Amino acid sequence: MSEATADAGSDDSWLSMDNSRVLVVGSVAVALVVLFLAGTLFPDSTAGALVDILLLPSTWSSTLTLAVPIALAAVGGIFAEKSGVINIGLEGLLIISAFAAIFAADTTGSLWLGFGAGILASVLLAAVFAVVCIEFRANQIIAGLAIWLIALGFAPFAARIVYGGPNTASLSNSVPTVRNAGIPVVSPVFDSLAETSILGPFQALFRASPTVYLMFAVAILGWYVLNRTKFGMWVRASGENPKALDTSGVNVHRVRYAAVLLSGVFAGMGGAALSYNVGQFTGSGQTMVNGKGFIAIVAYLFGNYNPIGALLSTFLFTMLEAIQTPLQYAGIGVPRTLVQTLPYVGVIVVLALVGRTRIPAAAGDHYETGEDR
Amino acid sequence: MTTAVHLDGITKRFPGVVANDDVDLPVERGTVHALLGENGAGKTTLMNVLYGLYSADEGRVIVDDVERHFDTPRDAIDAGIGMIHQHFMLVDPMTVAENVTLGSEPRKWGGLAVDRDAATRSVEDLCDRYGFDVPPEARIEDVSVGVQQRVEILKALYRGADTLILDEPTAVLTPQEVEDLFEVFDELTDQGKTIIFITHKLGEAMHAADEITVLRDGQNVGTVPADETTREQLAELMVGREVLLEVEKTPADPGDEVFAADGVTVRDERGIEVVSDVSLSVREGEVLGIAGVDGNGQSELVEALTGLRDPTSGRLSLAGDDVSEHSRRRRIEAGMAYIPEDRHEQGLVMDFDLVENGLLGSQHSPPYARRGRLSWNDARRHAEAIIDEYDVRPPNADARAGSLSGGNQQKFIVGREFARDPRFVVAMHPTRGVDIGSTEFIHEQLLGLRDRGAGVLLVSSQLDEVRGLSDRLAVMHDGEFMAVVDPAEVTEEEIGLLMAGERPGGVDEDAEPEPSTAQADGGER
Repeated sequence: MSEATADAGSDDSWLSMDNSRVLVVGSVAVALVVLFLAGTLFPDSTAGALVDILLLPSTWSSTLTLAVPIALAAVGGIFAEKSGVINIGLEGLLIISAFAAIFAADTTGSLWLGFGAGILASVLLAAVFAVVCIEFRANQIIAGLAIWLIALGFAPFAARIVYGGPNTASLSNSVPTVRNAGIPVVSPVFDSLAETSILGPFQALFRASPTVYLMFAVAILGWYVLNRTKFGMWVRASGENPKALDTSGVNVHRVRYAAVLLSGVFAGMGGAALSYNVGQFTGSGQTMVNGKGFIAIVAYLFGNYNPIGALLSTFLFTMLEAIQTPLQYAGIGVPRTLVQTLPYVGVIVVLALVGRTRIPAAAGDHYETGEDR
Repeated sequence: MTTAVHLDGITKRFPGVVANDDVDLPVERGTVHALLGENGAGKTTLMNVLYGLYSADEGRVIVDDVERHFDTPRDAIDAGIGMIHQHFMLVDPMTVAENVTLGSEPRKWGGLAVDRDAATRSVEDLCDRYGFDVPPEARIEDVSVGVQQRVEILKALYRGADTLILDEPTAVLTPQEVEDLFEVFDELTDQGKTIIFITHKLGEAMHAADEITVLRDGQNVGTVPADETTREQLAELMVGREVLLEVEKTPADPGDEVFAADGVTVRDERGIEVVSDVSLSVREGEVLGIAGVDGNGQSELVEALTGLRDPTSGRLSLAGDDVSEHSRRRRIEAGMAYIPEDRHEQGLVMDFDLVENGLLGSQHSPPYARRGRLSWNDARRHAEAIIDEYDVRPPNADARAGSLSGGNQQKFIVGREFARDPRFVVAMHPTRGVDIGSTEFIHEQLLGLRDRGAGVLLVSSQLDEVRGLSDRLAVMHDGEFMAVVDPAEVTEEEIGLLMAGERPGGVDEDAEPEPSTAQADGGER
């Protein structure tokens, strides 16, 4: 017990998993193998239809597209929470940036400016959240809910003022994919790979919107920054034992501000990508974001605060959603609302059964130099 | 000899309190200097001033003959001062090397990455130089407390500390680990480092320090060379009056068994077995002590006995009745009193006044409760009686419990529990964080209760305390009783080995023939 032992399951291996996740991922894998065997042996059965759907490039395309806002927000959420500030307002950041991106792109006519405006709006709202939580010691959960509700009210309201309804106008020019962007060498290569049928579902990778590549880049970069750089070290220390960081001469507040603003940047990218993909912002009901910010939180908990893990769990969730429509066409109707609860069921199973998702020790706690906790 | 650090006329005031009052403290380079005093004497405040966590209202901080102003710990670190706090400032899921270099990480690739190899090498180099055995790649949560303390020391050395301040460094260590720490002190001072350590333990100050400065009520009441003083002189300086250091104890006159536990096994929240098949027996008129390093299952055992936690298995009997299934309330009514280890969490409601706190545990019973209504007049008389008899200061029943000093809070708890005239008392760390004067008083009360025929189970990690008070002494390690020994015959070294889980030959066989108490297990380790 008192012996010094180096643990094998270090956070550094990027797919480190504990038992509960191995169990969940393992049973999913086993189910898939069984499904594929059954589907190949009996092509006319339900299993056969399911396998066909799972191997469709279009299924993979929508899995990737649906994942973009969720995965980007999840990586942002990881940074905030690792630093000790639980950002439950990701949903609000997605809403505000989804609206701001369309509005700015519509006004200026530039997709780039629109994307930037989406990020800016999200960062500003995240900054309000950061000041309220870090400077004024607000309860992070309540402040986060407020951020969501503010965005949920403000974005449709602004749409009503500018466009006379909860929805914005549609973008006149849609976002080009890499294959038809006319970039020398790159575009023709992507174009031909996208049509190479031996790649099967992997064709989807070359048909995707540039935001999909952004999502991969952010997840990998996020992992690197968190685990290999000085800043990442400080973020993790700030969320685990801020006093240790403070006594080492690093300003905890500054680290937390940076982390929360970074979550605004990533969520802003996600929100802008979401509305760009649809071509407009729709603001009725829960708006077009419709819980994606909360799924993002579930995804990073499921991925144990690892950006790569969060990305993979996002894929798990969005693939379930992507097979909805083809399933209904194939006559295997599973109610959509039921399937939408699956991510939450999954995370409750993981959190409850073994509970090995390791929440940063100081997450949710305010920190002030010179005060004993 | 040169002066490494000189605190000159330091005064630090907090609202309503003068924590340090014109304190002078010169410390020679290459020596170990102990800062001795009771809780609240201002030791930690003084060191926080030196480390830049507080700024002094008056006085000068002189380091290497240059006057300095430290606004933050960073300034102190830059001046070669390092501080190891009582509660370690470590990030549990990170490795030793990451913790040592936190905030001053070696970088590569133009700052794009932390040079982890260089960090590991630096830790290894430091370990070689000062003779530490610390694995740089191990995670903090996987290493022992003693190793964690070394990591804290490494952190300070890595930042170029010449003067190390350690706040109560021995509080969490086994006697052997304490010895190791003092050897580290020697190694560090041999290489020119200066050490200031805060303690309230006389023996440690005398053993490890070259010079001892005693603080009382924020004032320096004397600086003496360690080899020219006596424990009695130091105790008198600390308290301001003569103190009985040794508990005067008459031999026990044990009667019938009043409490017995048989085969108690407890699992914690994670399902790990923390108490393994422990049996014990306490007779009327005797004190059974349980010694051990904190965290070896004592808390869980005590909670199982007092009814705060369900054991996995085991039978408990109080005065011949099976109380295994009894609720906490029924155990209290059957005559079991409990002085909990944490008076803030379990002993008192800090926001309640003493009248309300005095009622806790008796809120169901007459005369305080009749037909569901409380009689506040009786409760007040009760609280005032406790305050009077147990010398609680200030003598004001309307005072909030949280406004009392630790010693007075503890005296009030002892009074409340003893007022129920218990047959059996479980006292856990009854004098932790309590000043010497109150400690003496609480010890007398415990022995008085024993002499009136109650059984006492005393759990403490302070060896002096359990050895001084117990009639029989069990040593607990990793959830098991290593041995039950006669505290009068066993040496501190033998107990220390048992606490560390080593079973030296011969100790458990000949010392105590009492049946049914020692666990006959040899398979450990």
